[in-house]
Amino acid sequence: MTMLRAEGVTLGYGRRPVVHDVTLDITEGGVGLIGESGSGKTTLARAFLGLLTPMSGNIWYGDQTLKNVDMRKFRKDVQPVFQAEALDPRMRIGASIAEALPRSARPKVEDLLEQVGLDPGVAARRPHQLSGGQRQRVVIARALAVEPRLLILDEPTSALDVTVQARILDLLASLDTERLLITHNLAVVDRLCRTSHVLFAGRVVESGPTGDLLAKPAHPYTRALRDAVPKLGGAPPEAKGRTEAVPAQTGCPFRLRCPLAAPECEQPPVLRDMGGRQVACHRAEDVLPK
Amino acid sequence: MTEAPLRRTLPRIPDRFAAFGAVLIVLVVLAAIFAPWLAPYPDEPRPLEMLQPPSGAHWFGTDQVGRDVLTRVLYGGRTSLFIAIAVLAVSSVIGVTLGVVAGYAGGWIRDVIMRITDVFLAFPALLLSLALAVVLQPSVNTVILAIAVTWWPWYTRLAASVAASIATRSYVDAARCLGVPAPLIVLRHVLPNSLTPVLVQLSLDVGGVILTSAALSYLGLGAQEPAAEWGLMVQQGQTLFTTNWWVVTFPGLAILVTAFAFNVLGEGLRNALDPRRAVR
Amino acid sequence: MIEVRDLQVRYGGRVVADVPELDVNQGECVAIVGESGSGKSTTLLSLLGLTPDAEISGHIRVCGVDVLTAAPRRLREIRGARVALVMQTPQAALSPATRLGVLMRRALKLHGVGSAPDRRPDSGSHAGAGEGSDTGAGGGSDASPSLSLQKNRTPPLGGKGRLEEIMGEAVEAVMLDREILRRYPHEISGGQAQRFAIALAIALGAEVILADEPTSALDVTVQAEVVGVLRRLREERGLALLLVSHDLALVSTIADRVLVMKDGAVVESGPAAKVLAEPSHPYTRELLEALP
Repeated sequence: MTMLRAEGVTLGYGRRPVVHDVTLDITEGGVGLIGESGSGKTTLARAFLGLLTPMSGNIWYGDQTLKNVDMRKFRKDVQPVFQAEALDPRMRIGASIAEALPRSARPKVEDLLEQVGLDPGVAARRPHQLSGGQRQRVVIARALAVEPRLLILDEPTSALDVTVQARILDLLASLDTERLLITHNLAVVDRLCRTSHVLFAGRVVESGPTGDLLAKPAHPYTRALRDAVPKLGGAPPEAKGRTEAVPAQTGCPFRLRCPLAAPECEQPPVLRDMGGRQVACHRAEDVLPK
Repeated sequence: MTEAPLRRTLPRIPDRFAAFGAVLIVLVVLAAIFAPWLAPYPDEPRPLEMLQPPSGAHWFGTDQVGRDVLTRVLYGGRTSLFIAIAVLAVSSVIGVTLGVVAGYAGGWIRDVIMRITDVFLAFPALLLSLALAVVLQPSVNTVILAIAVTWWPWYTRLAASVAASIATRSYVDAARCLGVPAPLIVLRHVLPNSLTPVLVQLSLDVGGVILTSAALSYLGLGAQEPAAEWGLMVQQGQTLFTTNWWVVTFPGLAILVTAFAFNVLGEGLRNALDPRRAVR
Repeated sequence: MIEVRDLQVRYGGRVVADVPELDVNQGECVAIVGESGSGKSTTLLSLLGLTPDAEISGHIRVCGVDVLTAAPRRLREIRGARVALVMQTPQAALSPATRLGVLMRRALKLHGVGSAPDRRPDSGSHAGAGEGSDTGAGGGSDASPSLSLQKNRTPPLGGKGRLEEIMGEAVEAVMLDREILRRYPHEISGGQAQRFAIALAIALGAEVILADEPTSALDVTVQAEVVGVLRRLREERGLALLLVSHDLALVSTIADRVLVMKDGAVVESGPAAKVLAEPSHPYTRELLEALP
């Protein structure tokens, strides 16, 4: 079942688009949105949250677009989990969590804190008195307060120490909500998302089952991402192609960084089906091992 | 990381400075309030005792018509502080309200508010004040109105830029996603988190307002003789500086000390109001 | 290049870092691994005497200078020039209104590089007489053909031309275009800024690079590039590298030896392969298990 759907969405600030004509379904089992800084992943997340209106295209929630939907219901169903800084520095933890709760539901704050593995006593503290991991749990508790069906997680663990990160991922995996996870960390996606989409320069370049994507990438960019992740005791990660090349304005946006770039890459590639996934690359056959 | 230990060893001196500033301000305010009781002489001319240097009888000396300068500094504090507080209260309330709304709302709301602000800023401040003061009757209230009219746009600008940056913070986005109505977001998140630079600016502006009001008084548009006002006293004593330094020095020092005290307090406020710094 | 014995850094009586032994030899990469608050950054900064207000005891020798007793002038000599510090966000240290080339030229002039080649006979690979120096960087330049060839071919230009040459070489050594020297700090990406910081270190003739989480603010592909540059410099020029990181996987790919720190204490140390394959301390195991 699709909860949210972006259909031909182009997004930008001012007149400059940063996300180009993206179509993407948030389906069950967790959806990952992988990309580096500047790939437009956070912009797309803001559109899914109704914080940013598309320049063209629509975000569908069920059978209605976000333009016509009952926002109050939508807000109850879809909640963001931003990074740990997403707490008002002046507000006590309890007040932050209870922000959207009616006065009568205030006792719920303690339950929520316990649900995310925190001592109810932290309700009286302020964000700076907590560790990064604790703050991240508070951010999750606040999102859970309205009992959402879908969480949109924007780099929820990337600022945290590895041991803390692992525990937050455990917590996220244990929640019975649907999720869209936005990250640059492939390992995290592997754990929490059944399906993944790789975003480069505001375009989806590859989509498919997460396991397939990581094991046998079909797009050179997905492969570069995977190979850049250092593996314990492995060979040093080697950069393929120079990362400072800016995305190409015409044709395949990745071609200036791509080790396989060929003349045909000056024509924009379209997303095409290929062995259970979609990939936008002229040379995908050369990337994906048979 | 090094943060935790560094925090503990940071000197507490800024806080002490702030406390010192606060104490000074309290003293200045008390002196102004209790001027009638503290003043050694009535505030009236004694032509026979004009331009006497500081002595046991007249600690700060006497002015060109024989008034006790200490007495006038005490009384002058009432006028000057009242003007400063009134001007800053009026301009910050107007300025911050408009600024925070403009900064959070953005779009055409911001454009309209900022264009109005620009119109006020386009006039030279003193000239606008002058024009207003000429139209209205010269009085302390006129001075307050005239200065406030030129002062608020600065607060609008300041508040708008701070609020615009606060509006992009993820806790504001989170509140929007929770369905908190915009006015509440502004009141709960944007305004409180925008106030620190405003408070600091307020404390830094006290001296400036006192000096501006002095200029207006000098031009005959503000507080009028025989009323005591620090700026007026400085302006009137100016020509005597080389021969009778005390006439201008003591009211000048009063302005300096008051401005300094507010500045130090402003620094301290900045530290105390930032919740992350407060623990250090 | 670095020799630390019984180092203890305290703030107000609290021990923040306690390192009994830490050595980094020429051409070697040693990593200090730990989470926030483990004292790893403090240890790194103390090596350059950059922990004001701290009480430090023990022995620290960096490039032959006893850091704890040396005169401020000698400390300044090693800081920046022979020992370079690479931080997590180098952009913050770059003056925004100045072109990178100007920034670099100023830094080089400040340290007297390139202006009078024979004034700094022991300043490492970039001084004219570097080959015979006992500081060791000369040995590394054999393995870096591009650099040593360039140097032999270039006549000993005085002043500007020579300076430009040193700058250009350094920038190319970190895989950047020379063109970057004409850009302003805001026109470059985080990865480029990080590599520029390393290039600056090389131009200054650094023999030791102290890197504090140099890649944790970067995307993985960019991280791979920066790590590649560091590794190459180490191999080709014999740079010693002390790396502070929380990323065990990354460390495992480039470090020869590893120190694991927790709450200010070294809980485990040894060859990287051994520590990661057979961790003896429970905390190291916990760190390894937390890896996704």
